[in-house]
Amino acid sequence: MTIRPEVRKALAWGTLVTALLAVMIVVGSRNLAHFDAALVAYTFATLFAAFGVTYRYAMWLQRPPTAMYWRRGWRFFLQPQRLLGNLGRLISRAGSDVAANRFIWRRGRLRWLAHWLLMWGCIAAFAITFPLVFGWLHFTTVPNNFGWYQAYLFGFPLFRFPLGSLFAFIVFHGLVWSSFLVIGGVMLAMWRRMRDHGAAAVQQFVEDMLPLILLFAISVTGLMLTASYTWMRGYAFDFIAILHAITVIFTLLYMPFGKFFHIFQRPAQLGASFYKDAGARGASAVCRRCGSAYSSQQHIEDLITVERQLGYDYRVDGPVEHYQWICPPCRRAMVALAQSQLWLGQRAPQMFGVVDAPAPTPQFGNAAISEGPLGSEDKANLHF
Amino acid sequence: MPVPEQYEFFIDPSRCIGCQACVQACSECDTHKGQSMIHLEYVNRAYTTQTVPVVCMHCDSPTCAEVCPADAIKKTGDGVVQTARKPRCIACNNCVLACPFGVPKMNTGAELMMKCDMCYDRTSEGKKPMCASVCPSGALAYGTRAEIMAQRQRSRPTNQFQFGRQTISTKVNMLLPREQHSEYVDVLSAMEDQGSGQDIFLMLHQD
Amino acid sequence: MATLPRNEQDIIAQFGPQRAYAHGERLETDVVPDRLVKTHCCFCGQQCGIQLKVKDNTVIGFEPWYDFPFNKGMLCPKGVKRYLQGAHPDRLLTALQRDPASPGGFQPLAYTAAIERVAAEIERIQHEYGNNAFSIISGASLTTEKTYLMGKFAHMCLKTSHIDYNGRLCMVSAGAANKKAFGVDRSANPWQDMLHTDVVWISGANVAECAPITTSYVWQARENGAKIIVVDPRITPIARTCDLFLPIKPGRDIALFNGILHLMIKNDWLDHDFIERSTVGFDALAAHVQEWTPKRTAEVTGIAQRGIEQAAEWWGQAKTSFLMHARGIEHHTHGVQNVLGAINMVLASGRIGRPNCGYGTITGQANGQGGREHGQKCDQLPGARDLANPEHRAHIADVWGMDVAAMPQPGVDAYELFRKIESGEIRGMLSICFNPKVSLPDSDFIARMLDKLEFYVAIDFFLNDSARHADIVLPGSLQEEDEGTVTQVEGRVIKINRALDCPGEARQDWRIIQDIAKQLGRERGFTFTSPREIFDELRRASQGGIADYSGITYEKIEQQGGVFWPCPSVEHPGTPRLFEPGSWNPVAKGAGPFYFPDGKARFNVAPYTPPAEDVDAEYPLILTTGRVISQFLSGTQTRRIGPLVDQYPVPRIELHPQLATQLGIGDNDWITAESRRGAITLRAQVVRTIRPDTVFVPYHWAGRKSINRLTIAAQDPISKIPEYKVCAVRVFKAAGPPAYADELEPQQ
Repeated sequence: MTIRPEVRKALAWGTLVTALLAVMIVVGSRNLAHFDAALVAYTFATLFAAFGVTYRYAMWLQRPPTAMYWRRGWRFFLQPQRLLGNLGRLISRAGSDVAANRFIWRRGRLRWLAHWLLMWGCIAAFAITFPLVFGWLHFTTVPNNFGWYQAYLFGFPLFRFPLGSLFAFIVFHGLVWSSFLVIGGVMLAMWRRMRDHGAAAVQQFVEDMLPLILLFAISVTGLMLTASYTWMRGYAFDFIAILHAITVIFTLLYMPFGKFFHIFQRPAQLGASFYKDAGARGASAVCRRCGSAYSSQQHIEDLITVERQLGYDYRVDGPVEHYQWICPPCRRAMVALAQSQLWLGQRAPQMFGVVDAPAPTPQFGNAAISEGPLGSEDKANLHF
Repeated sequence: MPVPEQYEFFIDPSRCIGCQACVQACSECDTHKGQSMIHLEYVNRAYTTQTVPVVCMHCDSPTCAEVCPADAIKKTGDGVVQTARKPRCIACNNCVLACPFGVPKMNTGAELMMKCDMCYDRTSEGKKPMCASVCPSGALAYGTRAEIMAQRQRSRPTNQFQFGRQTISTKVNMLLPREQHSEYVDVLSAMEDQGSGQDIFLMLHQD
Repeated sequence: MATLPRNEQDIIAQFGPQRAYAHGERLETDVVPDRLVKTHCCFCGQQCGIQLKVKDNTVIGFEPWYDFPFNKGMLCPKGVKRYLQGAHPDRLLTALQRDPASPGGFQPLAYTAAIERVAAEIERIQHEYGNNAFSIISGASLTTEKTYLMGKFAHMCLKTSHIDYNGRLCMVSAGAANKKAFGVDRSANPWQDMLHTDVVWISGANVAECAPITTSYVWQARENGAKIIVVDPRITPIARTCDLFLPIKPGRDIALFNGILHLMIKNDWLDHDFIERSTVGFDALAAHVQEWTPKRTAEVTGIAQRGIEQAAEWWGQAKTSFLMHARGIEHHTHGVQNVLGAINMVLASGRIGRPNCGYGTITGQANGQGGREHGQKCDQLPGARDLANPEHRAHIADVWGMDVAAMPQPGVDAYELFRKIESGEIRGMLSICFNPKVSLPDSDFIARMLDKLEFYVAIDFFLNDSARHADIVLPGSLQEEDEGTVTQVEGRVIKINRALDCPGEARQDWRIIQDIAKQLGRERGFTFTSPREIFDELRRASQGGIADYSGITYEKIEQQGGVFWPCPSVEHPGTPRLFEPGSWNPVAKGAGPFYFPDGKARFNVAPYTPPAEDVDAEYPLILTTGRVISQFLSGTQTRRIGPLVDQYPVPRIELHPQLATQLGIGDNDWITAESRRGAITLRAQVVRTIRPDTVFVPYHWAGRKSINRLTIAAQDPISKIPEYKVCAVRVFKAAGPPAYADELEPQQ
């Protein structure tokens, strides 16, 4: 059995990253000195998830359109004369898109709130648990001062704080707070999914419901642990711990396959934005039917390459060269006009065809309907 | 629930009267309420009243999905090419530029491509799509093949489109004359066409 | 009153028109409606079936009604977005009285106080100047029950001759000609008869934009092999792919019909049997059309001779056919003659009164048909009876329980009412469902007359452009807030169902009329408690008449998907197709299928006369007016629905590039069209789809964008329809944009 080269490459990346993480765990926990053996199942699930995610990411990056964006995105980003500005833009875009989810705000307020709560809840939870699980973060009481705690990262002392303080309460209950956020987000998302007719039509259980159920299960079992040792003197603690571990491990194993993979794909939107920046600075693509500009020349040329790699052949004999050089409004008009031609002689006796002037850009019939043009690309697409 | 197999979508742009009932009704659809996914364009209003209503043709091998770097466009088992999956779409505009029929729309602010999903909220429940329900000219029609063909004595459906060297087959059918022997629509044949229809001078009395 | 209570902008700021868009529950995708109400669209005469989604006394959207036989779920954009007229910010929720000191020129007034004031003013005016000094203008978008009540209110309660309705601007030419030729005024066929014909002839009807659902019937006929002939000065969307397009010069339709008839006779494309057996007057007509040779026809109509010959050949040789027309041939000073010409062509072919052979006029308004049958027309009583006919008067006086001698004599048409204001004969007016300031020609005159009235009360749900001149405005009901019947384009009586309660102090219109009657102390005959009760009386009143509704019930309408009149008994299924051989009617009483004592149809000589105002050196262009699909009539409703306004925001002047070049006008330039009565400045739309000697402007807008400030008040001598479709104008490039371009939103 031969393994396809892209699979081999992805396997290699997966192995490399997993190995690297394993080494980090060993090193970061000072040769497992601070590693909590009880958490070994979590660790292995994480290693598996790391392998799976890396493998899938590598496979994904090798798809022609993704590869094109990856390559071009980095190249435009790293252009020496623009690097500084790009860094600034990266920070501001990461802030508005990634941290604040501004684009989701524009898709819907409720959707935004749900996602924002889920996202920050998960980020906080990961930020706390992974270092603990890997043994990268640990706490000890300060010698000679039992009222104080010392936090260590990778075995290096980080800071110390008094045991009974509000700060200690907040830090030690970090997972409680994050599970509150997650539960709130899950509730809102579920509420929306159960009521919204549009969502109901297209949602799938494994893709859309399961992730919410998993996050909910993790949060609730986690809270039950806290409740058990805080108020119920550890009642059923072991059972709950196993339950919690099952939910977490299942989620980790699910990560490379389902909806959660978007966490790793999503930053590509930053790459796309740099690609668009570069396109806007360069030459425009001009429609070879109506003569209007409709995109960047770079984008069209890249698409022609990508389509060829994917096995499409939209080449056109004659001066048009390639169908990509026709703007979307002209494509829509041409489909109808080509049909009209076939009806020639059977419907109206006169169908006028060739006139000296080039065909004008078709005009969108209702420029203002609902929200009007949704940004500059929509405007170019529709030629408002 | 999948879209029932016996129901098919048929388009005949030559019937279109440009009334925009489809455009207006499309914005009433629950999967994209408030926004219309249909493009309705005047081919060349200075010459003719000809208009083109464009819904997604739901290609068997959708170029939009293939060129998507984010795997955001999925075709469901019943052959409906869905609008971009929201968590994945990175708003790169590839689909908008690659679709041979010019279907997807880009919502830049929301960083989201949106397109006609054949009113999946309705068709997956066995109902007709909004546009084909209201269309008063029959330019957009939805029903069983037998039903539609019984009404269209002079028409014959095709789902083959030629774009230069590329042939694209679609789930949605376009109606051609029954006596016409072309098996496909050669889109590039309309490269030079200004528009089609009657001309005012053809039957005008000249003093 | 001399002028508007406040300036235009102040009134608009308070009362609109503002554009409504979907928001809140209308936009949310998780709302489950409380119920779906099966009813019909509130706009044109097609009366498409539609289901309204209702939630908490608001219509939040629609769902197609696939089972309604006429439209099978189809709708035009107006039908799709009609729900936005409800819960509208401009909706009148109280009565108003004119008050220049108030921000919008009107002050809210308690409903009862308003009714008291109206009654007192009616009393005063009728006491001082006589009964006829108070007039009523009504409309054909009301349910048949309401139109019946309006006629009864005028003739029995106010005892005034002066009632007329806005069908005067719409259906009357067709109605008068149909009565002259067939003895009955109704489309002769259900549209189903169009589907399997050899030829569909469409004259003066922008089917795609004004009767969109009819398009599906026309295209279906074409699929089945029909040839489509369209006669119009513009290549409308239905004309674009038709088989033969005849670009007629506006106002010359009768010449074309006579010319076709000439060729039919010459080539013996006639149904001699039918002419012999079922008609009267063919010889006189044949003699008259002798002079209409193809050459002369071409010269007058502006259509190439070969086009006329081709049309005659297709029409003449057809085995089956369907002819339709609309306002394009009817809005003329010879509108009745035009329609008679069309009917002559149909009668000569013998293709009427059997399957797949038909003739019909396309009604414009929701109840264009029913609204002209039951007594709100100046010379009419219920059941399409004549107010001048002693027998008819006696029958109705009996149903109403009034002294027949007290019943007023026929009055005058809607436009003449305004001339009577000028002469001082009319001092007061009540308007409902009529916006004369936008819809009547030479509308600056109309505005002056509204101001001249001593008292003007308007009933409407929005403050329409005419109501701005009113002393009192009474808040009426939207179509979805009441029930009743209407009769659509085919003569099918259908049922409007109530979806909502009236908001605020608004009332169902029939209750308002009854409240006025009660306040006047003339309550008798105006104590109905529901539209059903009115309908039951209407059934009795129409019994034995031509438009016989006596066998129609609300239940039967629901069961059968509508009932075609005449329906003379409860067992009778209704009459989809008129004039079938052997059919019975109350006039012929079995003598023949047509509604004359001998049962025969009449050929009428229809001589050609040019339009009242033809072009000349000073005003060298023909102005013709019409509609666009996203707007309806005077726009009181549709100019308040955002998505419809967006579709075609402001009127434009359509002209041919040849003419544009000659005048130095480019597409989208600001240009002025000027007639002897007024001028208007709009943007140019330069298109090759119109005759080079004609310009076109749609008429849905008010004030400075209203084309009816230019149109001529010349009327047909028989039907009294105004000549909207032809007047002489000159067009030139404007110096710059008009002042309103910055002051007003598109719909205002």
